[in-house]
Amino acid sequence: MMDNKTFIIAGIIVALLIGVVAVFLASGDPDGLESTALIVQGQKTLTGDTPPDAEIHEDLTGKFSYESPMPDYALGEEMGPLGGIIAIVVGTILAFLVVLGLAYGIKVAGKAT
Amino acid sequence: MHIPDAFIPIPQGIVYWIIALVFVVLALKWAKNEMNEEKLPLVAVLAAGIFALQSFNLPVSMGTSGHLVGGALAAIVLGSPFAAVFILTMVLIVQGVLFGDGGLTTMGANIINMGVIGGFVGFYTFKGLMGMTKNMPIAGFAAAWLACLIPSLACAVEMFIAGTFPLREGLIAMGLYHAIIGVIEGIVTVAAIYLITTVRPDLVDTGVKSAKGAGTS
Repeated sequence: MMDNKTFIIAGIIVALLIGVVAVFLASGDPDGLESTALIVQGQKTLTGDTPPDAEIHEDLTGKFSYESPMPDYALGEEMGPLGGIIAIVVGTILAFLVVLGLAYGIKVAGKAT
Repeated sequence: MHIPDAFIPIPQGIVYWIIALVFVVLALKWAKNEMNEEKLPLVAVLAAGIFALQSFNLPVSMGTSGHLVGGALAAIVLGSPFAAVFILTMVLIVQGVLFGDGGLTTMGANIINMGVIGGFVGFYTFKGLMGMTKNMPIAGFAAAWLACLIPSLACAVEMFIAGTFPLREGLIAMGLYHAIIGVIEGIVTVAAIYLITTVRPDLVDTGVKSAKGAGTS
């Protein structure tokens, strides 16, 4: 049976591999929610392809808007796929650390009380 | 199905946030009571894996792509729907804050859809079917498929309340696309459950006593 350390390393390697492959192979088509928005806005049909120039019109009146540091899992056009890889690696490791840190913190806090 | 800020008015976003926070608090309680140091690595690795899987948009034809959600997987291998709420909340925070994938005012709604609804539908479907069929692949596939489909329908209803989508159109399109994405979700979920139960059977607690041999059935 795998020990904890091997399990963590193997798990993270699998996660990073999935993420890096995704940078190159992921579909550029809109996701289910975006696709539905395009249908509602009359830019695509239910079963038809998404036109290359289709763009979701967002009505931001009364809505919040926020500029994230790495929008769309990339670091801008000029960085290309490398930017995508960096973004995915940072995100994957961060998801791991945030959950590990929080879970560990909860256990420590739980023991202290 | 990450809802961006532009799709829900702020007051409605706050309502979803309040509902989500109730479940997040319960998930933190679950983590405090149920998680031991042995399970910690699995929880953290699942978070990394679910983050990576969610970044992989797979083509589902009809000009649409979709990625896995992972709520059913987390809930099944950790034996509680609150495990899904715990992990998905953290993944959604990283995605929203760092990558703008899913809004901040809409994060409550996203936590409800993917974490709460996905986790509960996935866990109880698995538990019920596992009790009836004793067959992990069937129970896991159905649980993951429903845990992808039902949240997308909930999302369509939220979009209707927000005035973003008409109800019928939203339900049909979201349902159709996620019924297809759910098939991929089902296959990957069964494969992941099998893989984890094979390498570390001690870590897996499906919450179903008869599922002890989940990896071998």
